[in-house]
Amino acid sequence: MRALLLAFLSTATAAQACELPGASAQKVQSGKYLVLYRTQPSPLKVGQHFALEFAVCPAPESVRVDATMPEHRHGMNYRPTITGSGEGPYRADGLMFHMAGRWELVFELRSGGKTERVAQSIRLE
Amino acid sequence: MKAVLALLLLAASAASAATFSDEDARKIATHGPWPAPWSRDPSNRVSGNPHAIDLGERLFFERRLSVNGRLSCSSCHLPERNWTDGLPRAVGLKEVDRNAPSVVNVRYHHWFGWDGAHDSLWAQSINPILDPRELGMSAASVAKLLRQDKDLSCRFRRTYGSAPAPDDEKVLVDAAKALAAFQETLVSGRTAFDDFRDALARGDQAVMARYPEAAQRGLKLFVGKGACDTCHSGPAFTNGEFHDTGIPFFVRPGEVDPGRYGGIKKVLADRMNLLGPYNDDPKRSTAVGTRHVSLEQRNFGEFKVPSLRNLESSMPYMHNGSLATLRDVVKHYSEISPDRLHSDGEAILKPLHLSDSEVADLVAFLGTLSDGGGQYKRRPFPEDCR
Repeated sequence: MRALLLAFLSTATAAQACELPGASAQKVQSGKYLVLYRTQPSPLKVGQHFALEFAVCPAPESVRVDATMPEHRHGMNYRPTITGSGEGPYRADGLMFHMAGRWELVFELRSGGKTERVAQSIRLE
Repeated sequence: MKAVLALLLLAASAASAATFSDEDARKIATHGPWPAPWSRDPSNRVSGNPHAIDLGERLFFERRLSVNGRLSCSSCHLPERNWTDGLPRAVGLKEVDRNAPSVVNVRYHHWFGWDGAHDSLWAQSINPILDPRELGMSAASVAKLLRQDKDLSCRFRRTYGSAPAPDDEKVLVDAAKALAAFQETLVSGRTAFDDFRDALARGDQAVMARYPEAAQRGLKLFVGKGACDTCHSGPAFTNGEFHDTGIPFFVRPGEVDPGRYGGIKKVLADRMNLLGPYNDDPKRSTAVGTRHVSLEQRNFGEFKVPSLRNLESSMPYMHNGSLATLRDVVKHYSEISPDRLHSDGEAILKPLHLSDSEVADLVAFLGTLSDGGGQYKRRPFPEDCR
């Protein structure tokens, strides 16, 4: 019980401390990670390159960003490059959603030999 | 009797009217406004420059830009044929493997050619000049023409502020940048669809009623059951990217056209790409796609999604010109066999099983994306350049 409470408190503290300086950001929480992100430009348009600014708490050892259209069974036509470390801020460049419909933006966060996926569903018209 | 007739008329009218939901209206709105906003190409220092447009227009119709002096860009990109040639596969010095794509609205593209082997309009413009099956020139022969012809040389100086450089390749690239500046001016006009789209956005029933009912039903299919707008998106009706649409990619027995797979390899190896020395933009702001494009096995047999504007006058269709009419194209998608698509590819296309009247409605809608031609008037060239 005490361990659970400690784990909860540690996650809550991480969430509180997690910051992405600048304009307002979206929050996605999954497992132990909280991801704050915003896109540049915003809103997104079909067929237009965009960048992601994001922060991750607690700090992972490594980060990957990808996106797929699950219903269409394909990903992006571009592989983003990422700069940043620790809790961030990070920047991913070179993303593009080239079709209208539902995309799943995925942050793959690796620490201690374990990878967790934090995913956010985004619909584009 | 009168009541029965009224009922019949009502039924007929109900059957022929298309109604658009809020979601349909939002989707339709994304196909405008037209013309779409555009800004100069920062990778081309003479993009939008009137002198470059003038030089580029002359070069586009210049037969001395071919090794035999009989062909020009306009041999395959004819203004009166929506800037294509009406042939299944283009014929320069020899027949090539693909259909000549229209150059109208190319200023809105970010990849060029059916396989996207070029990442700028000026780099694409070099390709047919040097291709031995098309115009068959060399950098040296292009540079020689621009240095020795007094009028062209003068117009080159007007455009770039100095005479053609001693470096042949640099002169070739500058000629291509002038060609690109000219092609950027080729924009299709407004269409019946654009009037309907704008009227729908502002709720103008009177203007909406002028749009043919068959076209309305076709538009409903386009953004609904057909989901054609998944790839044919935006004001130009293309997402500018690449897909496998089940068209055979054998060019002759035992030889295939690799499509986008080959295009990505070519653009990354091309020293004239946007990451190379000829990009005039020090920030490389339009090179994001080239820097991040990802080569995947699924790219094999993918070809660029063409714009649907002025489609009616750019037959035959598909990357190899294998479908003669718009009806053939719609039937292809209606009856597409999933077995013809890559097993590890996208799961987007499935047979729509459209009825004959639905096929006719879609064709009617596609017809309203044409401006009727006649937008281009070749500028008069009155004065000699001195």
